[in-house]
Amino acid sequence: MLVDDLNREREMIISGHNACPGCGAALAVRYLTRALGPNLAIVLTASCWSIIAGAPPLTALKCPILHCPFPSAGSVGSGLKRGLEAKGKGDTTVVVLAGDGGTFDIGLQALSGAAQRNEDIIFVCYDNEAYMNTGMQTSSATPFGARTNTAPYPLFKEGRKKDIMQIMAAHGIPYAATATVAFPDDMEAKLKKAQSITGFRFIHVLSPCPPGWGSESADTVHLSRLAVQTGFFPLYEIHNGVDWKMTWMTDKSRLPLSAYLDRQRRFKQMDKEKIVALQEELDDEWYFLMNKVGPADRC
Amino acid sequence: MLSGVEKIKAPYFCGASPISVNKTGEWRLLTPTRRESLSPCSSDCLLEGEIPLWLEAVKRESWPEAWQIMSRNNPFPALTGHVCYQSCTANCNRGRLDEEVDIREVEKAIGYWRLDNYEPGGKAVTSKGKVAVAGSGPAGLSCAYYLAVNGYAVTVFEKSAVIGGMAALGIPEYRLPRTVLQRELAILEDMGIDFVTACEVGKDVEVARLYSEYDHLFLATGAWLSRRAGIKGEEAEGVWYALDFLSLVNRGGDPESGGTVVVIGGGNAAIDSARTALRQPGVDHVSLVYRRSRAEMPAEPSEVEAAEDEGVELIFNALPREIITKNGAAVGIGFDYCRTGLEGLIVDRNRSFEKSCSTVIMALGQDPDYSIFGQLKETRPLYAGGDLVSGPATVPEAIRAGRLAAFSLLADLEGTPLPDFGARPLKKVSFEDLNLAAKVNLQLQQKQTLPFEEAARCLGCGSCNSCGVCYLFCPDLAVDRSNGSYEFNLDYCKGCGICAEECPARALVMEGGV
Ligand SMILES: Cc1cc2nc3c(=O)[nH]c(=O)nc-3n(C[C@H](O)[C@H](O)[C@H](O)COP(=O)(O)OP(=O)(O)OC[C@H]3O[C@@H](n4cnc5c(N)ncnc54)[C@H](O)[C@@H]3O)c2cc1C
Ligand SMILES: Cc1ncc(C[n+]2csc(CCOP(=O)(O)OP(=O)(O)O)c2C)c(N)n1
Ligand code: SF4
Ligand code: SF4
Ligand code: SF4
Ligand SMILES: [Mg+2]
Repeated sequence: MLVDDLNREREMIISGHNACPGCGAALAVRYLTRALGPNLAIVLTASCWSIIAGAPPLTALKCPILHCPFPSAGSVGSGLKRGLEAKGKGDTTVVVLAGDGGTFDIGLQALSGAAQRNEDIIFVCYDNEAYMNTGMQTSSATPFGARTNTAPYPLFKEGRKKDIMQIMAAHGIPYAATATVAFPDDMEAKLKKAQSITGFRFIHVLSPCPPGWGSESADTVHLSRLAVQTGFFPLYEIHNGVDWKMTWMTDKSRLPLSAYLDRQRRFKQMDKEKIVALQEELDDEWYFLMNKVGPADRC
Repeated sequence: MLSGVEKIKAPYFCGASPISVNKTGEWRLLTPTRRESLSPCSSDCLLEGEIPLWLEAVKRESWPEAWQIMSRNNPFPALTGHVCYQSCTANCNRGRLDEEVDIREVEKAIGYWRLDNYEPGGKAVTSKGKVAVAGSGPAGLSCAYYLAVNGYAVTVFEKSAVIGGMAALGIPEYRLPRTVLQRELAILEDMGIDFVTACEVGKDVEVARLYSEYDHLFLATGAWLSRRAGIKGEEAEGVWYALDFLSLVNRGGDPESGGTVVVIGGGNAAIDSARTALRQPGVDHVSLVYRRSRAEMPAEPSEVEAAEDEGVELIFNALPREIITKNGAAVGIGFDYCRTGLEGLIVDRNRSFEKSCSTVIMALGQDPDYSIFGQLKETRPLYAGGDLVSGPATVPEAIRAGRLAAFSLLADLEGTPLPDFGARPLKKVSFEDLNLAAKVNLQLQQKQTLPFEEAARCLGCGSCNSCGVCYLFCPDLAVDRSNGSYEFNLDYCKGCGICAEECPARALVMEGGV
């Protein structure tokens, strides 16, 4: 249990980093590094985290960070791990950290290649659902109905959010899981499990972004929790692409999606039909997920 | 610019400087601040104890701190830990999740810590003045304690040979081990408090003399006049009043009550008498007869159950008509059927029965003896408290009365304004006010046996209980933890407000300004 072990020694993030107040991504990486450290190396694509981590020689993490070109995270991660192995340092955990842009869109090809080759790396996507660092442009992870700076009012994001977990499951990788910052114990358990497995592992972390989502900075953890409680972002894990298991069950008592949407300005002025459409899309996905999971593993 | 910046000494790091030179706290517009609200337990505690605060200290196993917080309201937690009727627990918010926190057990543990760890020789300064206290019950002792720690010489005058009032003479030993009061007394004596026993104020020493020899007087003589039944045969041999019976046994005497005992009454003194009688040699049966129904008994339900479990026969709806005597000694009681009507008791004289017995214990209630007030010729304000003022009440109420009297006396003697005792303006925190969503992460434990584990079950309604949630959820690692408690590091707190939003106890607010 994280709180039982509030040992500052384990923390690998350094105060003074450049994240906005209430940044979910900063919190996600705090949990990530404390769970996997200290023998850890991070490959980082262009993203908010490139800024959060600080300009050299300053750094916000107590582990090496290798900044890499936007589309190349999967390949650079593969190379780093193989290099470390060649030098006899194969015990170092290699984490690729990328935003949703660097994962769902521009990084997808390298990610797919590394997953297919079953490279021994942990690919962590912190998903703030848009290209935040360059000013909140729509990505394929942006949910239907949200406003971004490339889809300003009266426009909105059209089409559904890409289902990255199904894509990763289709690669048959040993381990894939979803996680989010309101459930640090769940997240730590999944990261630790991932670390114990060899081969390609993928963790999808929903990371609320106050400026990008138009939410209160104080609401970050609360929103993350609501995302799970409404079923918008279910918590589950997939072994070998086939064995799906819920890790936090919302049951029949899923909260209505509006509880989540109402606290974010990006969904303001969303008309009723769109809210209904989004709720229906979510219900479909939930049904699909429950079928994948099977009755015994609905936890 | 970066000279002097410490290099990171992590084992797997390749040379860089920590970003902590960025004092990102400068971005802050709102600052997390502690705000204490009132918990249900504190609000229901008869002596206004700051329960969640001392529970929190116990959770950190910081016993001196727990005692320090406790003694602000209650200097005798070992005593209350045994005998308090624990009104604090009834509305404990934790009860809405599984089971209430066992507040009294933790209180008792703090009490024993104090008894075990008191360092003798710590005589309080006694130069500020002298105060006399009449009565050594919980009210008198509590007043004496607070006056002594505030630098006053206190002399306690006690009518009986024993110190402790009703706690020593009324409450039976099986509910309160005598060693607790003896050890408390040793501490009070070591603190420099004088005790004069077997000295009745108003008889052995004049009230006027106390007023002239001392700077002031506190009256706490309790409620010791036993109510009479006013029935035939009440003066017979073998008829006792509960207080006489209990205090004789408590002093080690033998009431010589063999055979069958009948206790009359439905309060705590009646139950204590019945259970005490059951423990006397030669007693083979004890009945308790109450004039109303079981539901109407003023006694604590748990005490009634305990009596029943031990074998006390309970008889309801019966009013004693007369005590049947033979050669001046009680041999039985005649009862009439009786029940509660709209305008008082309805007695049915046609439905009566008799019970033979050798001992009768009348526990019909007590009243204060106000005759002492008749001797007062003072024009100065009068200080009195405990059962004497309230009528028969409880140990914690008497302790509170003694504390209030002490601080009123201090204000009076030192010419300072009277403290505002009624002021507890804080908002009361309900179960719904708490934010247990974050607690879900903390995997709440079930009832525990060790005090610090049990204390950790407290949800800290309205005051920080060091749960660590603020530390856990801070994206900037700007919450420091030292000795198990949490402080904000304003060099790095950006004021996002997640901590205040998530704090399960609702003990934080974001305040404007830097
Ligand atoms: C049988 C019984 C069981 C109880 N059990 C509990 C319980 O479990 N929990 C609980 O909270 N409460 C209990 N109570 C109530 C509780 O004991 C009293 O409310 C409490 O002790 C009152 O404290 P006090 O200091 O006001 O008076 P007391 O405790 O009555 O003390 C008054 C003292 O003054 C002395 N005194 C009287 N006249 C004079 C005089 N003229 N000069 C000098 N001294 C004098 C008396 O001898 C006595 O020692 C019980 C009461 C009884 C009778
Ligand atoms: C090839 C390339 N194209 C564009 C950019 C500009 N760029 C830097 S960060 C970024 C946004 C990244 O978005 P995402 O991966 O979602 O991470 P976020 O900023 O949201 O954390 C972009 C477009 C770049 N660095 N490289
Ligand atoms: S823009 Fe969003 S993701 Fe980027 S640093 Fe700010 S809060 Fe974090
Ligand atoms: S949970 Fe703690 S603070 Fe809340 S009512 Fe119970 S003992 Fe008091
Ligand atoms: S979150 Fe927990 S530790 Fe922090 S202020 Fe609230 S009660 Fe105290
Ligand atoms: Mg993004």
